[in-house]
Amino acid sequence: MGLPNVSEDLSSEMEVDAFRRLFPLRYFERHLAESIRPDGRPLGKARETSIFLGAVASANGSALVKIGSTTILTAIKMEVMTPSLESPDEGCLAIDFHMPPICSPIVRPGRPAEASPVVSKQLSDTISSSKMIDLKELSLVSGKAAWMAYLDIYCLDADGALFDAALLSAVASLSHLQIPVVAMNDDGKIVLVSEEDGQKREQEPVNKEKRKLTLRSIPFSLTCILHKNYILADPTAEEESIMETHVTVVLDTSGQLISLYKPGGPVLAYTSAIQDCAALTRQRVKELKSFLDKANSAMEVE
Amino acid sequence: MEYVSPEGLRLDGRRPMEMRQIRAEIGAVSKADGSAIFEMGNTKVIAAVYGPREVQNRNQQISSHALVRCEYSMANFSTGDRMRKPKGDRRSTEISLVIRQTMEACILTHLLPRSQIDIYVQVLQADGGTRSACINAATLALADAGIPMRDLVTSCSAGYLNSTPLLDLNYVEDSAGGPDVTLGILPKLDKVTLLQMDSKLPIDILENVMQLAIEGCKAIANYIREVLLENTKQLEYRRGV
Repeated sequence: MGLPNVSEDLSSEMEVDAFRRLFPLRYFERHLAESIRPDGRPLGKARETSIFLGAVASANGSALVKIGSTTILTAIKMEVMTPSLESPDEGCLAIDFHMPPICSPIVRPGRPAEASPVVSKQLSDTISSSKMIDLKELSLVSGKAAWMAYLDIYCLDADGALFDAALLSAVASLSHLQIPVVAMNDDGKIVLVSEEDGQKREQEPVNKEKRKLTLRSIPFSLTCILHKNYILADPTAEEESIMETHVTVVLDTSGQLISLYKPGGPVLAYTSAIQDCAALTRQRVKELKSFLDKANSAMEVE
Repeated sequence: MEYVSPEGLRLDGRRPMEMRQIRAEIGAVSKADGSAIFEMGNTKVIAAVYGPREVQNRNQQISSHALVRCEYSMANFSTGDRMRKPKGDRRSTEISLVIRQTMEACILTHLLPRSQIDIYVQVLQADGGTRSACINAATLALADAGIPMRDLVTSCSAGYLNSTPLLDLNYVEDSAGGPDVTLGILPKLDKVTLLQMDSKLPIDILENVMQLAIEGCKAIANYIREVLLENTKQLEYRRGV
């Protein structure tokens, strides 16, 4: 008796799936009319978020962030460089966002994904304009040596809201960053002091007290989709491809607006819609701040 | 440098015939048809399979069987010093070719004519044995994608240092300059699909080293089968079968 029901369920499931593929917009709009999304989320709710610090053992700081299925891995490598003449007592931060072909069926080997340079630029601008890091903290010897922090951000699974996940991952890895201890040798060169032979060295470490960066006014972001009168927070890749108008709002922990990004799209946003997006972002910032604090305190316990 | 202590222990505390801790996870990439993470000690690799799908370049379409493509790449932070290599460096190209040829030997390509199977492998952390880890990850990803195969392909490396055969070399042992044998086998069929060796090695010792690598491959095959079985049980449970 059980078998016919199973086949009926399968056929109806097939019909739903076929409808979803053939008429994606109508499928979504039917859900939106009920103020719900196909994955069961309310319109203003973000997907489940998790942060794992220290995911890469070979890096000085790293974080794996998952927002729904979107997975981003960030690792920081520190290298000593000669600072520029314009800013002799400042270090440098280089941010690179990579989309390897594993992350999405759209990304093919050979040519880089369109989104890569765009997200890289957005991240660089956001982190520098938020004044989250004082680059003077990356200085070792004024005019002679400073840290160059390479942030390599890899998208392992692209399922929408890439910028949000990338920014969260970058911020998390910066909060996890352990700056290596270095000393100046007799030739005036900066050398790493390994943990074991730290005691035996005659040279005094240059940066004994500067092991962690002080992060001020941390930026967090939320991407929303505007479709007719609806605002959908934290879209999936499918939602992004169907409804093309995105608004990304970046706020810091003190609630200040850092950047607002609306790259065209068919929907012209009213001021009220932008304000609604900002309100949703404000809520999301609190959430993300608590996630990051939990992840950091878990690391301290370990 | 002494790679095996008088007590018979290696630099990382393992015995000569002991493998590193292995861990695998299926379904790491939601958008891929099949994907897997494979860890061997500190070596971490993620593989994704897209396909069978329409051939991107019609000129490459083969009417009798599927076209298999593979791309291997290493994350900039995967090694001790940050990598600055261009994307298509020689080593990556060579390993891509090795993985493709190894996987082609086990995929039943004749069942999927005029289609394309893309295997993408990304090294997240490298500590020796990356090509073995990549082959194991690719096998899991292909199985997850439901692509028909003759058998699983499993791979493991073995070497010979301080007059001792060593199983599953890490980076320090690998870069010691001694012989390094990378082996890929079809465990059920007992056939070798991949055999690579660097440096000189007497033939009588090669047999011992190869036998050691085969045992390593078989141990990995058993583990991979367990992972696949567990994954299938979870799928059954989710679908209420």
